[in-house]
Order: sequence, then C-alpha cells, then structure tokens
Amino acid sequence: MGKIVAIHSYKGGTGKTLLAVNLAALYANQGKGVCLLDLDFRAPSLQAVFKVHNTEYWLNDYLNGVCEIKRTLTDFSQTHARRGKLLVGFANPSTEAIREMTAKDRKWEMKALGRLLSLKTSLLNDMQLDFVIFDTSPGLQYSSINAIVSSDVALVVSGMDISDIKGTQRMIDELYDLFEKKTGLIMNKVFADILQSKTHRADLAKQLMNSYNLPLMEMIPCFCDILKTGGTTVFANENPEHPFIKTLDRVAAQVENL
Amino acid sequence: MTLPRRLEQSSASILQKIKESLDRLNEKMEVMIEIQKHGQLRQVQDGVPDVLDVMTLLSLPDHLRKTAVTLCKLDQATADDVAEQTKRARAVESGYLNQLVLMGYVKKERRGRKAYFYVDREREEKEASKTWEKS
Repeated sequence: MGKIVAIHSYKGGTGKTLLAVNLAALYANQGKGVCLLDLDFRAPSLQAVFKVHNTEYWLNDYLNGVCEIKRTLTDFSQTHARRGKLLVGFANPSTEAIREMTAKDRKWEMKALGRLLSLKTSLLNDMQLDFVIFDTSPGLQYSSINAIVSSDVALVVSGMDISDIKGTQRMIDELYDLFEKKTGLIMNKVFADILQSKTHRADLAKQLMNSYNLPLMEMIPCFCDILKTGGTTVFANENPEHPFIKTLDRVAAQVENL
Repeated sequence: MTLPRRLEQSSASILQKIKESLDRLNEKMEVMIEIQKHGQLRQVQDGVPDVLDVMTLLSLPDHLRKTAVTLCKLDQATADDVAEQTKRARAVESGYLNQLVLMGYVKKERRGRKAYFYVDREREEKEASKTWEKS
C-alpha cells in the first residue's frame, strides 16, 4: 500500500513547493508511481513550475464534485521522470477561482475532506501508485487541515525565523498531535556556516528537537544556486548530484520508513 | 412431538425481534452511560444535523475525535469496524458513535441486525459518482 504525504508549513515561502516537486521527481526517478497535487488553492504554484497554462479539469473541479480525480491529472513521466510515473494535478490559478475557493462554507469543506480521503482508494488502491504528495497552503486553514487529515505522513517545513519556529511549534502541539499524525520536521534555508561545523550542527539539532518535541528529519542549507533558478527547473532531474538532492534522498528514505 | 413448521417460524421471528430490541436497548444504555461520564451534550437542534468538518473535529474531545476521524476515513462503518481501527473495545466505540449521532455529526442506519454509522455528505455526492460512472 502506498503513502499519502502532505508537505505543510506554518508560514509561506518556506520551500514547500520546491521540496514537494523534487521529492515527487526523486521517487519517480527511483521507478515509483507518484502523483503530485497542488492543494494550495489560495496561491497555486505547480502550474508555473510545470509550465501549464490550461488544463481540461483542475483539482478545484474534483473537489467541487465535477469530475473524477483521473481527469485532473497530467502525465509528466516522459519529460520529468527517468523511470517511473509522475502525474500532476493543478490548482486553478485564476483570481476568480481563488476567490471562489476562499468563499466556501463548512458543508463544502466537509465534502472536500471526504473527497480527499477517498484518494486513498482511487490513487493508491485503484491506480496502484506508491506516493501521493500534497503541496498544501501554509498555516491553519481548511484546505491545509483537510490535506493533513487525509494524509498518512505530514512533513512540516520551517525556516530559522523565530516567528516561524514558534508558530510551527504551536501548530505541532495543537494540530498534528490532536490528529495523531506521523510527522517529520524539516528545517529549510539554514545558514550554511552553522551546518559546516559539526558541533554547531549538533547543538542546533538538539535545540530544535527539544523545542519541537519531534524528530528532526533534516536541516537543509540555504543554496543560492537553487534560489537563482527561480523555481524554473526540477533540480532532481537537472542536477541529481546537487547536495540539496542528496539531502532530499535521505528525506525520501525516511518517509518510506515512517 | 415436533412443532408445526409455521409455529416454529413465528417463534424464530419473535426471538429475532426480541434480540434486535435488546441490541437497541443496549446501545441506548451505552449512550446514557457516556453522557453521564462526559456531562451533558449539545443535542441536535430542531433536527438539523451539524457539519463534521475539520474545525469541528479539532474542537471535539480527544476520545470522540479519534472515533470521528476513523469514521470519516472508513466512510461508513459498524462499531466493530471502528473498534478494529482504534484498538478500543466495541462497546466503547458504540457509545462514542451514538454520542456523535446525538450531537448531530453522524447518522445511523439499521440494516438487519447491524447498525451502520456514516457522515452524511448528502445525495449530490452519490449522484456525482453516478454521473462519473456514466461518462
């Protein structure tokens, strides 16, 4: 049985999309069947990364009960995966669609939760995929909590900013723990200087684990060359030997064992 | 001397009815015990069911949240099905599920001797899946 992995964070701009895209590409390159879904309906991103301008059905349509999940997926296996299968579902980036998604009522959100929960059957059982990766909205809002409840594993990404650390800590205590979710913590954009010294690295890891009360999966340094690409390339394909991808390899292995 | 066949059938049916009534009575008692344990519950107002969305799930007490999340995942289930997932006793889950029914978050339907619980996501859902099947 495959796994549904939600990538979430307290604040925006922590690198969720970058991690989600590259983790999906990494698994696909290992020969696995992967489906990457953009569940950030307030700020859709994947259509820009995969350079998609239009699609027959968006994920918005699936959650609105207009179509089956299969109809929203585009196959990027030929262009973005060396071996396995990579399917991607996009959120509608039009202002009208974003406005519509933010005005949904509780009843709709309850149905949306039902539809996300049923992905376990449609994508993992029926389509036999190994991984479904949710790229979620930051913070505590319906779409992100729905995604977390529907996932098997949640990966929380945090930056080194104190407001991010404190917020993430509260979110773990008041959200993840309540849903008894298997959670992995990833610190992203950590100052490279700190990570170079073994002692500093160990001290920081200890400090973070104490404040989060959660195992720290990885500390990823801030890479200027990744920032320079402006999210236009899938690093796992373009530069598989890059230290960022090597770190993600370890994350991928840990998620499989969670 | 053997009882005439018709008489045998009617006793079996009476016994079955008694068994079902006892099952229902047992469930009602479990709910009463739960209410006593955890205080008064919000009752369904004017028969209008409430919505079991994630914010509601967050606001539920821990013991009920576990049951409610499990039921959401299973779509529809008996107390036995939920107990198998939560690793708690069937009687406990039956009490919690009936409590969620009383609170208006969950619906209950009796099919034969079994009681099925489900989150009512309404007809449109079923109609939508029928449309997909056709297309």
